[in-house]
Amino acid sequence: MARFLAQARFIIGALALVFVVAVATPAPSFAQQGTPGAGVNEEQLLQQLNRISGRCTLPDQKACTLEQPAGREWREFDQGMLLWIGGILIIGAIVLLALYYLVHGTIRIEGGRSGRTMVRFNALDRLVHWTVAVSFIVLAITGLNITFGKQLLLPWMGPENFSMWSEWAKYAHNYVSFAFTIGVALMALLWIWFNFPNAADMQWLKEGGGMIGNKHPPAWKFNAGQKLLFWFVVIATAAVAVSGYALMFPFYFTDIAGMQLAQIVHALVAVLFTALIIAHIYIGTLGMEGAFEAMGTGEVDLNWAKQHHRLWVEQEMAKGRGAGAPSGAAATPAE
Amino acid sequence: MARMKFLCDADRCIECNACVTACKNEHEVPWGINRRRVVTLNDGKPGERSVSMACMHCTDAPCAAVCPVNVFYTTADAVVLHSKDLCIGCGYCFYACPFGAPQYPKVGNFGSRGKMDKCTYCAGGPEADGSKAEYEKYGANRLAEGKLPLCAEMCSTKSLLAGDGEIIAQIYKERVVKRGYGSGAWGWKTAYKESIAS
Amino acid sequence: MLIKRTERQARRGTLAAVLDQTAGGVDRRTFLRRSGLAAGGLAALGALPLGAVRKAEAAGTQVAGATIRKNICTHCAVGCTVTAEVLNNVWIGQEPSWESPINRGSHCAKGAAVRELVMGERRLKYPMKLVNGQWTRIKWDQAINEIGDKLTQLREKSGPDSVYWLGSAKFSNEGTYLYRKLAAFWGTNNQDHQARICHSTTVTGVANTWGYGAMTNSFNDIRNAKTMLIMGGNPAEAHPVSLQHLLEGKELNKANFIVIDPRMTRTAAHATEYVRIRPGTDIPVLWGMLWHVFKNGWEDKEFIKQRVYGMDEARKEIDKYTPEVVEQISGVPGAQLERVAKMFATQKPATLIWCMGQTQHTVGTANVRASCIALLATGNVGAPGTGANIFRGHDNVQGATDIGLDVVTLPFYYGLAEGAWKHWSRVWEVDYEWVKSRFDPKDPKKMMETPGIPLTRWFDAVLLPKDKVAQSDNVKAMMVFGHASNSITRIPESTKGMSKLDLLVIADPHPTTWASLSTNAGRKDNTYLLPICTQFESAGSRVASNRSIQWGEQIVPPIFESKDDSEVVYLLAKKFGFEDKMFKNIKVDGTKVVAEDVLREMNRGSWSTGYCGQSPERLKAHMKNQSKFDLVTMRAPKDDPEVGGDYYGLPWPCWGKPEVKHPGTPLLYDTTKSIQDGGGTFRARFGNEREEKLPDGTTRKVSLLSETYSKDSEIKDGYPQFTYGVLKKLGWDKELTPAELAVIEKIGGGPDKSDGVAWSTDLSGGIQRLCIKHNVIPYGNGKARAVAWNLPDPVPTHREPIYSPRIDLIAKYPTYPDKVSFRLPNIGHTVQKAAVDKGIAKSFPLILSSGRLVEYEGGGEETRSNKWLAELQQDMFIEISPADAADRGIKDGGWVWVTGAESSSKAKMKALVTERVGKGVAWMPFHFGGWFQGDDLRSKYPQGTDPIVLGESANTITTYGYDPATGMQEPKVTLCQIRAA
Repeated sequence: MARFLAQARFIIGALALVFVVAVATPAPSFAQQGTPGAGVNEEQLLQQLNRISGRCTLPDQKACTLEQPAGREWREFDQGMLLWIGGILIIGAIVLLALYYLVHGTIRIEGGRSGRTMVRFNALDRLVHWTVAVSFIVLAITGLNITFGKQLLLPWMGPENFSMWSEWAKYAHNYVSFAFTIGVALMALLWIWFNFPNAADMQWLKEGGGMIGNKHPPAWKFNAGQKLLFWFVVIATAAVAVSGYALMFPFYFTDIAGMQLAQIVHALVAVLFTALIIAHIYIGTLGMEGAFEAMGTGEVDLNWAKQHHRLWVEQEMAKGRGAGAPSGAAATPAE
Repeated sequence: MARMKFLCDADRCIECNACVTACKNEHEVPWGINRRRVVTLNDGKPGERSVSMACMHCTDAPCAAVCPVNVFYTTADAVVLHSKDLCIGCGYCFYACPFGAPQYPKVGNFGSRGKMDKCTYCAGGPEADGSKAEYEKYGANRLAEGKLPLCAEMCSTKSLLAGDGEIIAQIYKERVVKRGYGSGAWGWKTAYKESIAS
Repeated sequence: MLIKRTERQARRGTLAAVLDQTAGGVDRRTFLRRSGLAAGGLAALGALPLGAVRKAEAAGTQVAGATIRKNICTHCAVGCTVTAEVLNNVWIGQEPSWESPINRGSHCAKGAAVRELVMGERRLKYPMKLVNGQWTRIKWDQAINEIGDKLTQLREKSGPDSVYWLGSAKFSNEGTYLYRKLAAFWGTNNQDHQARICHSTTVTGVANTWGYGAMTNSFNDIRNAKTMLIMGGNPAEAHPVSLQHLLEGKELNKANFIVIDPRMTRTAAHATEYVRIRPGTDIPVLWGMLWHVFKNGWEDKEFIKQRVYGMDEARKEIDKYTPEVVEQISGVPGAQLERVAKMFATQKPATLIWCMGQTQHTVGTANVRASCIALLATGNVGAPGTGANIFRGHDNVQGATDIGLDVVTLPFYYGLAEGAWKHWSRVWEVDYEWVKSRFDPKDPKKMMETPGIPLTRWFDAVLLPKDKVAQSDNVKAMMVFGHASNSITRIPESTKGMSKLDLLVIADPHPTTWASLSTNAGRKDNTYLLPICTQFESAGSRVASNRSIQWGEQIVPPIFESKDDSEVVYLLAKKFGFEDKMFKNIKVDGTKVVAEDVLREMNRGSWSTGYCGQSPERLKAHMKNQSKFDLVTMRAPKDDPEVGGDYYGLPWPCWGKPEVKHPGTPLLYDTTKSIQDGGGTFRARFGNEREEKLPDGTTRKVSLLSETYSKDSEIKDGYPQFTYGVLKKLGWDKELTPAELAVIEKIGGGPDKSDGVAWSTDLSGGIQRLCIKHNVIPYGNGKARAVAWNLPDPVPTHREPIYSPRIDLIAKYPTYPDKVSFRLPNIGHTVQKAAVDKGIAKSFPLILSSGRLVEYEGGGEETRSNKWLAELQQDMFIEISPADAADRGIKDGGWVWVTGAESSSKAKMKALVTERVGKGVAWMPFHFGGWFQGDDLRSKYPQGTDPIVLGESANTITTYGYDPATGMQEPKVTLCQIRAA
């Protein structure tokens, strides 16, 4: 993206400033060279470095930056490109999912429910997942408020109410971020073992995950789609966490070019994240029969499991953790 | 209607900081908030120049554009003012501002950076002109009395000019013609999308 | 969120409620017009559609309910008017003072922040005394009583000279005069003020060249110059508003703006030519310039012939300073100096501007004389755009100097001879014998006529063995009114003096480093703090650098329990029992002195300096009519009813009684104007003729009187000082009124004995009146002299600073021989030699200089207590070149230890690595205090009075070195070492 390149240029420019600044060659101590008359020129400095900094006696080093026109370019992103990208991604996701649902409907359990269940996610898995999920919703809504709030909410809430809501939203966003970050970290620890790619993933992907047509590609505990989402979540969370904490502790870790970059990264990753999670929520609720209880009670119907995660079921059976009756009855071997 | 601007003639500025303390004095600006500051370029070397900088009251102000809660508004004089009541202290205006004008009471952003403060062109804020509430939140409102910003009025060498953009541009142009040199109207291209051709 | 000011009322009405424009109220349009350059600016504005500016007719500068009061900024000597808005006795705001021709609305950081001084969050609120090392609050009565008793005790035991009356350049004229009078009535000449450490060398050196030692022209007049040479000054930081005139002049005239300085200062940044010079080598550079001038015949031969004596003798010295010698000593290349010399001599009018860079040296007097000689040689004195434009320091250092708060003189430069004392006894209407009796009983006449001890040596007078101090006893008590301790060199030595004193009284708005250093040094008692108010809380007159006198109104009454200086002097006089004598002709309301009466008494006695015409009424009329005075000439139109024809502030000399209505003298020694119009000549001060020895052993008499005369002068020749006898010779004595004649004869002691009554001792003012009438000047029409035979170096010659890295040059150009001056031994030569013998320059290889910052002033305790200023400079620092920093592993902003050559001195501060200073030179601002040798002394101040910003003092590192002519110290050049902390 052009913006990213522009950001990179600033950082290099800032370093260059250190070398460019030494203009005069060091002269013998008491001899004088030339007349001081001609001063520095704004055009010239902007062309060289795109940021003009000097010395000032205030302790706040930010005050020494006289001009950073990059702020305008960042504004173009934040009020231009970001709105388009965010809008397209999120609305696009909803629209596409709606279309799919209209065309394809809910993915049913073939052969209906078996009446027997097996444990898919334990209490810890579910606690971590829901912590992350609820936090994400809060973060998404409060975060989107920053970007879209004044267009969508402000007109009917009025300025004072909107500001009050936004202020609380900001507090929520900042504090809930910890739950989210820690939750995802735990999630990563719990499930990373199940998310390394293997041969089954290639086949699953080739067959479109079974979402188009009637194929049933095999899958272990997590199919390729879920693995992709897992890795996305881990990496994206790292990205929004790092950029987010940089935004929460402004200028502790970086300068203004870095802050602008942090916001860009945070916003772009967040809207993509939101779009994907909308899809995840769809598939985990409306989109697929029998999916929700995986995280709801932790136990899934055996037929559902065989349909979608056959290899995992076989593995579990071999370990003696086969299906049993619902609500936690002891496992009995299958027929 | 007049379109208000600032112009700092860097070839006259001697970093005396009168503009800085005049602003502090007039508006009782607290320690740590620097509505106006002077930056010296090439400090100690030939070509050293000082520039006094505060909010430039830009045309199509980037701060106003990025503010999530629409705290900014532009007056008929083209002065960019803000409402502290609406501000949530997110800090975006500072990222967008090419001139570093927004100032915050708190350093961290845990929750909020506090209510943003910046140069008001000595034109107060949304409260009634000259009211106690306006003074407490934004400082004095000189424009309402037909006066100009105190920083420019008290500049020791008449380097900082404030007033109708056309008039101060004219003053600056004449100076440059008369004396034969001028490093330009710093910030004008960025703020007002124009440069002063002599 | 902004701080709430509960006292602040809604001071703004709506537009509708605003009053109309009062006389002098300036609207936005006028401000903009004044911002433009005069030529062309007006025309262009006229062409612009008026609709472009919001109709500001309805607005004025006054706000509903608020009173406007004018005073003068209490910081530097530019003399900016401060306009205050006052509501319910609270100072609520400052407005630009558009009408003042000096600042036209402008200020610097300090001036724009003066309102904070009266908010006084960190000021002394009530008198205090040290009880067992603890600051304890006391009442005024108790303070005055205890102090008075102690002083009387000391007087009885050790004589009146054991008490040192250290006064202030921040006194108003009236405060100065009363303090000076108090010292005289107390019976000592140990009384001094900041001029000692500032321009004492200027006053002595310049006065000894052509008559008065003051700024010859004015800031406004510099607009006329075609060449401005700033040598040893940094007005961009020390006199910022003067740059308004300098830069506008530079722009309008396309003038040469040359800066000669060891540092590339903020002033040098605007220069057309910058010359870097090794600190302490001003004379070689000036002589080097004149070498080129004379070699190329660029000197003004006619001017020299008509108005200068002794240039040939000076040339003998100047010839020695060839380009090679000059470059060897100072580092300035010959070609550059020739260029500068040519501009100075041929692109006229040219002016030489200086400040501490020339004065604060052991050769300070010689430096300024060399500058004067440079001006004389090129004919650059006594005309618009020329002159020795000496930028004075404090807001009233000019006044305090003139009024004689100076160890060598009575008020107004009369000196200390018997005639001077008799003159003042007449003015004061006290018996001369009584005054004499106040002095040291061992030899009152001798002590009365002997100059006192300069403040730079106060602690030497305390610490040296009694027999080394040429008075009855050591100094035992310091009465310190408005003077810092950390602006004086050799602080470590001074702290020893502080602990040894029997009594220390600090009268100041702030405790100052006197309080913190003295308690740190071990004082536990006999130390008092008296809260004095600022000049904003008092009415009175003060003199700007250009000799204009301005009257300041009291803006608000003194805050908390502070009192103004005059009141405290009155209380002391009352305690000593001579208040009736002292305030005979000065009205006192209760204990509050009426300032106008004090000025009137000064008018009656100041004939020598021409402070006789500036009555309170005339001065107040000037403040009321400021806008009438022209920006460049500073003159009001002749037909104005209130101030017609006057020059702003009636710059002295303003001859004759106020009724004579002399307009003041804007440019000294200006023969292009008639005396009635403010013109002048060089003073015939050094005698009418001189006997010269010729090579063959014979002598000849040479006239010292001028060969030219001022415009419309009735005497078309040089003439001596005017006495009654001279009047008689001219036949003008018949024009004296009977009353005038009676006064003259009374002074003379009879009709036949009065020939000697002079223009300066004639209390009737008749002699001066007649001089003005005949367009001649009372002080005579003489030649300026390039040779000052009464000074240690009659023709200035280079002498190395006491501490110099150039051992080779110390051998060739050593400092003055040791001698006793001002009652103390001055052992500069011994110290210089010892430094060479000990190899000081090896262990302390960096030249250390010191100077000013715009945000702070003087010792800095007041400005560092002002939150708006303190925020802008929060750390003490030393400037060091990148090369020297790299050698020592010092980073920009890192902590360093600076060590000095004497007293094992050391100081800790931050490093500012910059190319501003050349390799081998370091520089510190001198405004910091409150730290000492690495220790933070914040707890040593009384609770709540410690300044916001504290730091090490530059003068902890500075060293021995005193100009023999004045006792000036040498903080501009010494040696130091710096290492990373």
